Amino acid sequence: MPDRLSFFIPRESRVHSLNPLTKLALAFSLIILAFFGPGLFLPVALYFFVLVPLSLLGKVGKEFLQTSFRLLLPLFAFLFVMQSLFYPGGETVIFSFWIFSATSEGVVFAFRTATRILVMVSSFLLLLLTTHPSTLMNDLSRRGVPASLSYIITSTLQIIPQMQARAVTIQDAQRSRGLDTGGNLINRIRSLLPLVGPLVFSSLVDVEERAIAIEARAFTLPVKKTSLIDIPDSRGEAVLRWVMAALSLMTIGYRIWLSLN
Amino acid sequence: MALIELKNLTYHYPLTNSPALQDLDLEVQEGEFLAIVGANGAGKSTLCYTISGFIPHFFKGELAGSVSVAGIDPTKAGLGEFVQKVGLVFQNPFNQISGSKFTVYEEIAFGLENLGIDPAEMRERVDEIIRLTRIEDLKDRSPYALSGGQQQRVALASILVMRPQILVLDEPTSQLDPIGSQEVFQVIKDMALQGMTIIMAEHKVEWVAEFADRILALSAGQAIKLGTPREVLGSPELPEHGIGISRYTQVARKALQAGLWPEKRSMPVTLDECVQGFQEIIA
Ligand SMILES: Nc1ncnc2c1ncn2[C@@H]1O[C@H](COP(=O)(O)OP(=O)(O)OP(=O)(O)O)[C@@H](O)[C@H]1O
Ligand SMILES: [Mg+2]
Repeated sequence: MPDRLSFFIPRESRVHSLNPLTKLALAFSLIILAFFGPGLFLPVALYFFVLVPLSLLGKVGKEFLQTSFRLLLPLFAFLFVMQSLFYPGGETVIFSFWIFSATSEGVVFAFRTATRILVMVSSFLLLLLTTHPSTLMNDLSRRGVPASLSYIITSTLQIIPQMQARAVTIQDAQRSRGLDTGGNLINRIRSLLPLVGPLVFSSLVDVEERAIAIEARAFTLPVKKTSLIDIPDSRGEAVLRWVMAALSLMTIGYRIWLSLN
Repeated sequence: MALIELKNLTYHYPLTNSPALQDLDLEVQEGEFLAIVGANGAGKSTLCYTISGFIPHFFKGELAGSVSVAGIDPTKAGLGEFVQKVGLVFQNPFNQISGSKFTVYEEIAFGLENLGIDPAEMRERVDEIIRLTRIEDLKDRSPYALSGGQQQRVALASILVMRPQILVLDEPTSQLDPIGSQEVFQVIKDMALQGMTIIMAEHKVEWVAEFADRILALSAGQAIKLGTPREVLGSPELPEHGIGISRYTQVARKALQAGLWPEKRSMPVTLDECVQGFQEIIA
């Protein structure tokens, strides 16, 4: 993998060559289905029968599974412990331990929340792994999304890896001046504190300079932007997007109808 | 009419009482290379921002006097007109990366995408500028995974590809190591030789002495000297204003005290002049 400064993994695949908007629409409609669709197992099904196969088709299966597990496992463990033990109004006790008792209502709630988050995070992960950040930006602004908005979206997608890189640099500098960052957990956490100041401050100072640099490159010039990289799109994809939009609307409609009855 | 004309220019940053630039008059002809020297806070960056239109369009504040750059008057035209005529490169190379591009090649094309240049022409122009700035070997790398000097050359290329009429450089090498600085200076020198109009704030006076046509010395927002490198850098009052003098001048001053410098000869500001002086005394 080249320098890990964005999630994007440049490979040739059917998923890579989809129009960015199609992938964005897919991400949003999967999330809407997971949150508002029927059935307890729908989100898991979406994950295993839509997202995982698509990541394999996109030749990013390994990175997809790795990253989604690494991000989500700790969260899931936490959710399950908290919700199954402390879910208010749980009555059906599965097992008891000291003063705690796990209820099946709590377990179900934790499962539902966790699988929804799984779909939400991994839908975006799939988009980011297979979409060049600047194609996304150019395609959005080509469709009339204000340039500054699409810039905010794409640069935010890159900011996390950037902050990570910067954090490593600052930590290296501090370590070379004798800050002890190894050892036990408490020592490690304590050694993170001096990182916060420089990280936040240097990021703030840079905002103005970055804005100037982008302006100097004619970023807000009111002309129609062109794109170095050809952005593919087709009739078929446009139809697909409309279908996904309709499906999302129907799902939301179904949820509203349910709550009215 | 000169390409850049500043008349009686005074500028206050927002909410400040003392002016960052005061009563400044300056004319720069097409093809000229003007260097700006001055201590920290003298107003070098402020002047760079004024010439590139960021004052008053990005930094608001209070601008008095008249400004005309490549025929544009900032009170009538917006920043968009400036950025098409004046290119600005500044100190921190990292902060000049757009943050949305994956390779150096795409990074350089960013400005052209924003100008709406057609992709075929875009590629031609990017290829050309990559050659001129000697970064062929970097074109597929990530702009973040470069040394400071390489990043700064990418920043320069990204501006030059937009074909500005005037290039404004605000201490482009102050955050680079000697090798990085050398690489960047080389590109700037090439541009100057091609006849580009260049305004450059820089504290490496030895370099400036050699390549600039004229030097403007600033102190506390005021012009204290404007003239050829020899006129400005040779003048004895520079150190009072916190401006470093060329190390060749320093050597010659010591030599003069020790009776080792020809008395009628003026103080040297470049290596060549320094060598000539010593040859004369030996002869
Ligand atoms: N954004 C700002 N708001 C208010 N005052 C500013 C701002 N930027 C600069 N100044 C002030 O304007 C004056 C000139 O600053 P300027 O940055 O132009 O100096 P400089 O010659 O570029 O210095 P340096 O060598 O440190 O880059 C200084 O007194 C500075 O404090
Ligand atoms: Mg400055």
